[in-house]
Amino acid sequence: MAALSVLALLLLLACGGPRAAGQKRKEMVLSEKVSQLMEWTSKRSVIRMNGDKFRRLVKAPPRNYSVIVMFTALQPHRQCVVCKQADEEYQILANSWRYSSAFTNKIFFAMVDFDEGSDVFQMLNMNSAPTFINFPAKGKPKRGDTYELQVRGFAAEQLARWVADRTDVNIRVIRPPNYAGPLMLGLLLAVIGGLVYLRGSNLDFLYNKTGWAFAALCFVLAMTSGQMWNHIRGPPYAHKNPHTGQVSYIHGSSQAQFVAETHIVLLFNGGVTLGMVLLHEAATSDMDVGKRKIMCIAGIGLVVFFFSWLLSVFRSKYHGYPYSFLMS
Amino acid sequence: TILFLAWLAGFSSRLFAVIRFESIIHEFDPWFNYRSTHHLASHGFYEFLNWFDERAWYPLGRIVGGTVYPGLMVTAGLIHWILNMLNVTVHIRDVCVFLAPVFSGLTAISTFLLTRELWNQGAGLLAACFIAIVPGYISRSVAGSFDNEGIAIFALQFTYYLWVKSVKTGSVFWTICCCLSYFYMVSAWGGYVFIINLIPLHVFVLLLMQRYSRRVYIAYSTFYIVGLILSMQIPFVGFQPIRTSEHMAAAGVFALLQAYAFLQYLRDRLTKQEFQTLFFLGVSLAAGIVFLSHQPTTWVSFFFDLHILVCTFPAGLWFCIKNINDERVFVALYAISAVYFAGVMVRLMLTLTPVVCMLSAIAFSNVFERYLGDDMKRENPPIEDSSDEDDKRNPGNLYDKAGKVRKHVSEQEKTEEGLGPNIKNIVTMLMLMLLMMFAVHCTWVTSNAYSSPSVVLASYNHDGTRNILDDFREAYYWLRQNTDEHARVMSWWDYGYQIAGMANRTTLVDNNTWNNSHIALVGKAMSSNESAAYEIMRSLDVDYVLIIFGGVIGYSGDDINKFLWMVRIAEGEHPKDIRESDYFTPQGEFRVDKAGSPTLLNCLMYKMSYYRFGEMQLDFRTPPGFDRTRNAEIGNKDIKFKHLEEAFTSEHWLVRIYKVKQLDNRETLDHKLRVTNIVPKQKYLSKKVGSQ
Repeated sequence: MAALSVLALLLLLACGGPRAAGQKRKEMVLSEKVSQLMEWTSKRSVIRMNGDKFRRLVKAPPRNYSVIVMFTALQPHRQCVVCKQADEEYQILANSWRYSSAFTNKIFFAMVDFDEGSDVFQMLNMNSAPTFINFPAKGKPKRGDTYELQVRGFAAEQLARWVADRTDVNIRVIRPPNYAGPLMLGLLLAVIGGLVYLRGSNLDFLYNKTGWAFAALCFVLAMTSGQMWNHIRGPPYAHKNPHTGQVSYIHGSSQAQFVAETHIVLLFNGGVTLGMVLLHEAATSDMDVGKRKIMCIAGIGLVVFFFSWLLSVFRSKYHGYPYSFLMS
Repeated sequence: TILFLAWLAGFSSRLFAVIRFESIIHEFDPWFNYRSTHHLASHGFYEFLNWFDERAWYPLGRIVGGTVYPGLMVTAGLIHWILNMLNVTVHIRDVCVFLAPVFSGLTAISTFLLTRELWNQGAGLLAACFIAIVPGYISRSVAGSFDNEGIAIFALQFTYYLWVKSVKTGSVFWTICCCLSYFYMVSAWGGYVFIINLIPLHVFVLLLMQRYSRRVYIAYSTFYIVGLILSMQIPFVGFQPIRTSEHMAAAGVFALLQAYAFLQYLRDRLTKQEFQTLFFLGVSLAAGIVFLSHQPTTWVSFFFDLHILVCTFPAGLWFCIKNINDERVFVALYAISAVYFAGVMVRLMLTLTPVVCMLSAIAFSNVFERYLGDDMKRENPPIEDSSDEDDKRNPGNLYDKAGKVRKHVSEQEKTEEGLGPNIKNIVTMLMLMLLMMFAVHCTWVTSNAYSSPSVVLASYNHDGTRNILDDFREAYYWLRQNTDEHARVMSWWDYGYQIAGMANRTTLVDNNTWNNSHIALVGKAMSSNESAAYEIMRSLDVDYVLIIFGGVIGYSGDDINKFLWMVRIAEGEHPKDIRESDYFTPQGEFRVDKAGSPTLLNCLMYKMSYYRFGEMQLDFRTPPGFDRTRNAEIGNKDIKFKHLEEAFTSEHWLVRIYKVKQLDNRETLDHKLRVTNIVPKQKYLSKKVGSQ
């Protein structure tokens, strides 16, 4: 009997042992998780996750931390412009958090790319990107744990406000200082100062009409080839078709353009202008007749050739335009 | 003669819409301008200036006299009055429809005058022809587009012409004429700010280039003072010229000019040198980047609107700068500023168009001058250009034109040792072909892109026959004929002007969008459920509600597609009652089918759009209630109204009008009625019966 009870006790202990070990294992798992997350965060503020990591660290209990996850599709062939812009803002937010003084291990920032973790997308029944979801420490994400991108936009400050709403963790967004503006201004002032200093006594170079004409021409050509559009909308340089590998420099529709395209158009416009100027020079300058003839032919050739080319590019973008000149 | 032909060409190419449809005012804003002009013609000028419109923005009303640029209405009214005085009875509507084409001819003339001042007569004629048919200008001045830009570009060119003339001659007479023209421009368009910044900039650059002269001083001083006083006579402008930053440049340059003149008077050379360096730094620092990040322009838009002119006008600019004088400084500045603004905002392409026409004309005229012989005197350019003009009107007659040109060239006996007649002929012919292509392009663009009235929709079947959708006018005329004269119509603000113009009913909100809270109220009514919306409609005395629904024909500009904007605007003013997220599914999608958010499926806009639509089967392949615009089967097919009833639905269900019912005579009670015919289940038994 006593032996039996001792055996029973031993068994109980044995059962309790694993349980305790299990509990200890669970505890270890939690601290292990946290330490792993901290380690990853120290390397990169936004942790890239695949399906496996996601299930282990974000979905599986226990958790005493919340994870903000951005579901996105950053691969170029997905052509998700908003994803890139939102990703930048998200990085700013995560960096602000990581380098802030209030950094704790209560909240982590992660991201899942569609091409790396499509099973996660399927699991959460998600079919639009980018999406920001907060997985709280306790319970499942609710309605408000999905960030309303349409309403609030993806500015880092808005994201921070939402994070504060859901997790009570206040993050002060600090943007890396943008030196481009002041740098350009400084450069401009330096150039002008240099000019004034070096040529201060003799400002005659400003009277050089050719110089001014050339500068004005450059500006006008830049504007009419759509550089402002490029500056504001930021299109890619060219487009490489992923299936055939063919690079297209000209956008197929008339609503958008590539940077390469604008350079081509700039060249064509410049060509026509040069042709017109050559024609004029040919008729009025004092060089011998042969040279002038060549200049004249070159001029008219330039005008006609580049204009036809420009027209054909226009036709390729504006389907249904019926006219062409020399080349189709 | 050539100018008359240019006028005729410009006029005719703007008539596509009138020929294809009818003489009707297009778009939205022109309807308001038309209504104002109608009021002016019926009631007189002072009534118009003091007009308080109580049939718009009910119950607030709108002070029209103080919130419009009256130039357009006054011009149309004046023409109408003169014609009627001469006993030529023309309806005011026809005056309005054809005003823009007529003024395009005047623009051509003023462009001719301006270019002639800048270069020579040949270039002037070319410029006039260019601007008569260039698409960039046509887009805002077709027949039926009764809007400020139609007369403003004429005023712009004419003002610039008079300014250049006054700088050249230095006479006060021309400057006063310039001021009067500027006054007309201020009354016509808000774009007068461009003039009041370009002219001071011109003066400033002249100072920088040390081209100061007494003429400039006289011209600008007079212009600034008189122009300022005249511009403040327009009620809408009021005291803005001395308060807002856009006008400060003019004042600054005025002060600077006075200082400069004074210093010149004192002949203090050293100070001038210091000024120079100061100017440079000032100019470089004051290079404020105006970031109008609205709708930047792709190169395709430039080419579409300007064709070959956009390639050749830099050459014209080059020629101008190489042979610089006071007025060419002006046109160079105009070109550079206009091309920048057109690059950042596609709507400002209109201000670029005149200068592009002028500079291209200069470039072409330069080339033609050289290549058509050295004996080019005054009579030759006109003949040359008349052949151009004729050819532009008959684009198909290639052989005729070539014949004409050959005849002209062979007529002129040239004795210069030049490039030889063959090369010159070839060059001339090729240039003419390019110009012919330009003319053909302009006609094609005008016909296809810029001649749609937008009130009447046209679609083309497979066999090319045209299908006209006249639902809008059908509905507006129904309103006009079947509702009480003082009825109030609630709709989204896009249709306000058209309802006021065609249906002649009081509206709540219209395209002027000056009161956001009022618009938010309408948005809230559209987004709430029927009972809440009914309260708002009762408080605003609404009798009818008008919506646009495109689900039957697949029209994508309908109110359901605009619905989220209504919600957002309403949420801006009433964040506690309306939340945009309520209208999305939990996954964040906007859906009108069964999976859609219940708030959306029960809101007033949804119910009004899809009432009885659930019974309608458009196609045997799709289920009943299939929305062609959203490509989904609607979720809520069994719609019943408590406070509205359907009044009118147009032929293709595009416009739907609902009448708002009055309050019931009796309020329905909530509690149950008392029942008085209770039959007791048990008969009362006396206890006197003995028990066991």
